[in-house]
Amino acid sequence: MKRTAFLLGATSGLALVGHADGFFARALAQAPLDTAAGSAADRVLVIVNFQGGNDGLNTVVPFGSPAYYKYRPSLGVPANDVLRINDSVGLNPALKAFKDMYDKGQVAIVQGVGYPNPDYSHFRSTEIWQTAAPQQYLSTGWVGRYLDSAGLPPANLFNAIAIADVLPEVMVANRVDVAAIAQLNGYGLTSDKNKTLGRDAFHSFVSDNDVPFRSPYLAQVAQIEDHAQRGAEELPKLVADYKPAGTYPATPIGRSLALAAQVIGSKLGTRVLYVQLGSFDTHTTQKGTQDRLLADFADSMSAFYADLAAHGDDKRVLTMTFSEFGRRVAENGSRGTDHGSAAPVFLIGGGTKGGLYGRQPSLDDLDNGNLRFTTDFRSIYATVLEKWLQRPSSAIVGSGFDQLPLLT
Amino acid sequence: MAAPTSAPPPPAALYRPAGQLDLATALEPYAGPWGVRQAAHLWRRAGFGGSPDDVQRATGLGVHAAVDGFIRFGDASALPAQPQLVDDRPNRDQLKMLLAAAPQAGAPPVPDEALKTARQALGRAHVRDLVAMETWFLDRMIASPAPLQEKMTLFMHGHFTSAYQKGIPAQALVNQNNLFRANALGNLRDLTLKVSQDPAMLRYLDNAQNNKAHPNENYARELMELFTLGIGNYTETDVRESARSFTGWGLTRDFTFQNFPVRHDDGTKTFLGRTGNFTGADIVQIIFTQPAAGTWFAKKLLEFFVYSDPEPALIDTVAALIRKNDFNLQPVMSTVLRSNVFYSERAYRALVKSPVEFVVGSYQLFGIRQSDLVALGALRRMGQILFVPPNVKGWDGGAAWLNSQTLLTRENFASGLMAKMGDTTWMQRMMTSMDPAGVSRALTATILQGDVSPASTAHLTAYLDGTGVSALAALSGENADERIRGAAYLTMAMPAYQLA
Repeated sequence: MKRTAFLLGATSGLALVGHADGFFARALAQAPLDTAAGSAADRVLVIVNFQGGNDGLNTVVPFGSPAYYKYRPSLGVPANDVLRINDSVGLNPALKAFKDMYDKGQVAIVQGVGYPNPDYSHFRSTEIWQTAAPQQYLSTGWVGRYLDSAGLPPANLFNAIAIADVLPEVMVANRVDVAAIAQLNGYGLTSDKNKTLGRDAFHSFVSDNDVPFRSPYLAQVAQIEDHAQRGAEELPKLVADYKPAGTYPATPIGRSLALAAQVIGSKLGTRVLYVQLGSFDTHTTQKGTQDRLLADFADSMSAFYADLAAHGDDKRVLTMTFSEFGRRVAENGSRGTDHGSAAPVFLIGGGTKGGLYGRQPSLDDLDNGNLRFTTDFRSIYATVLEKWLQRPSSAIVGSGFDQLPLLT
Repeated sequence: MAAPTSAPPPPAALYRPAGQLDLATALEPYAGPWGVRQAAHLWRRAGFGGSPDDVQRATGLGVHAAVDGFIRFGDASALPAQPQLVDDRPNRDQLKMLLAAAPQAGAPPVPDEALKTARQALGRAHVRDLVAMETWFLDRMIASPAPLQEKMTLFMHGHFTSAYQKGIPAQALVNQNNLFRANALGNLRDLTLKVSQDPAMLRYLDNAQNNKAHPNENYARELMELFTLGIGNYTETDVRESARSFTGWGLTRDFTFQNFPVRHDDGTKTFLGRTGNFTGADIVQIIFTQPAAGTWFAKKLLEFFVYSDPEPALIDTVAALIRKNDFNLQPVMSTVLRSNVFYSERAYRALVKSPVEFVVGSYQLFGIRQSDLVALGALRRMGQILFVPPNVKGWDGGAAWLNSQTLLTRENFASGLMAKMGDTTWMQRMMTSMDPAGVSRALTATILQGDVSPASTAHLTAYLDGTGVSALAALSGENADERIRGAAYLTMAMPAYQLA
């Protein structure tokens, strides 16, 4: 079985790197391996970041509210065009492929998701959604804290993968190294002319504890370097046999989800993947940009789950979207919208009980022109952690957040 | 909804070095062996690593003269005092004008093209200025004859953070950076007052919006939580009362500091046990009477310059030193940089090089005097964009610099640096002979001061020799330059090179 190829040969050997009370030695001693088949170990969470702040009101459209058309004279989606869910809300027509998934019961939509005292800065609000800490500055992401707590095999190079240029804060962990891979092609060490010898030398450095100094970081640096180099070498080989079913849109999110399906289908033990698309920061002429992005998302997601289903993986993959904020209720003077607050979150695929959840925020009771959130985003995280990933959520996102009944 | 509780912090003291701290002599002047390893250690911590010649010179000087060389700043007046900025304010004003002209909903909108053009122009100016600022600061760190001045500036940039966001003009951030530089070994109390009136800070932490009618507590809170005292050393009442005291410190239209008396809350405030009609200046004075202030800066300086997770007793000792010197940094740094604990085995390579230290140090190692765009891209992928710290807490440092992506980026940066270096002098110096073992010794001595295992040295030697790989010929005059570049890259990829 190929899978053993990327597990470091002797786990016990790791403890020899660096001094005995080194970081990884302790992590290893503490981490029980969760290997039970059919448990949470098989489950995958895919996180989709709508970067830039997606306009929730034109995504899940409250066409039944006259106030919506009052605030959105030029941008409002005409009631006749809305893909209706019920008599008051429906989806943007650009989400047609996604509406088909909804109609099959594959999609849960949580309305009005946000947090108290919303921050309108892209930077800070993105950080808040990723760290799950509106009132603090944490150095780990909520997924990172899950990874740290899940007892994952420390030697697996691909416990989690971010399909991105830069490791997003949501995946930053204390003990688990997450690979950031923009695309398979080009991932890893840039070519040096004498690759072969270089690689041998690289691997030798890892077992290299015979140095004339001690450092509390040495073992960790060595191990992560080894992970990075092996991972870059192994990943293309490990996923090479995967044959995608169907075609994905030839867009960045299409390619990212195709790679996600490839990783999932190759059964590398990956628990969490991260993908992103954008920018949804539509201050001017919103319609063209948002419609294009929503259609791209819908078509890519539809292709993703068709591909997963063809490989028998759809039931074990839950996808969750987020965006740093929704947008101002009233459109601005340039057919765009400015930064706002609450917006819907989608949960898709494995484990979801399709339907509408939460309350659509009132358009008649705004907070300085912004929606008042009705569901705290940490309630969704807590639900995903407890029900899907089967981990206690209070240590990861804090306690006191009601779970939602949207997962089986 | 219940009040949110945070996730637990990571286990305490995870990265404290092994072995015993000798507290009694920790800050006594170091009188142990002095060689290239100690000199390079000083250069990595008080500077950015230095060139092989810099390290040699410090080796010859001995500990006291070498430290004096850092504490007494060299004349840096030949370096540009600031970057060339395009000044994005005309673009910003243009955009504001267009947006203000935008009519109420329902009326015909401003032409989209005009808005789009204005936004794009602003975006381009923003990027151009950020590149200019980053390059300027990096190049100062690379070439300054006062390396400790630049190192302290980097420390303060990550401590008293502001970021190139929220419409802060690039010039204001450059001015703030120069404020840190001018006070690099100055008085922390004075600097904190100046930071409290610094235009970039007034915008970044919203004190420009702090007025009597609607107090904004953002600056007052972070001043105590992150800049001077730390959580647990003040109450929520202290936050509110100090915010009231800072009301009125704002910005003029041309983005300079001004005290607006009409916005100031003239009432009586009670702050950290004292009562009076306080201003922001009083708040800063009172904060620095707190024992916690010395403790806070002691911890921060130890973590940045000595080792991670310093023992509370060591923190207390340095805090006493800081208080004894009334928060003047020069005598404090002078003592720390020549102390036993600084040169102890426990501190040696006990920090992770920050991306900036990695990049600047690599440039200095090879005598390259100017950065380029590749470095800026690499810094971004390694998680450190100068002038854009991730949040008001600055960069976490330590293990936060370590993941697959950041380490691959380091290796690729080193590879690129070696591939494109035009000057071959450095390679020639390494070519002590055609003996591969001799060359690998020279390389590991120069790059790692010999902090390398026999096994890794053997691998380097084999690489230089072409042993066992048919594609590679033995080391010769024809392939020596290329082979030494490859071996230098491999040496820079070793775990030891990632450590400061």
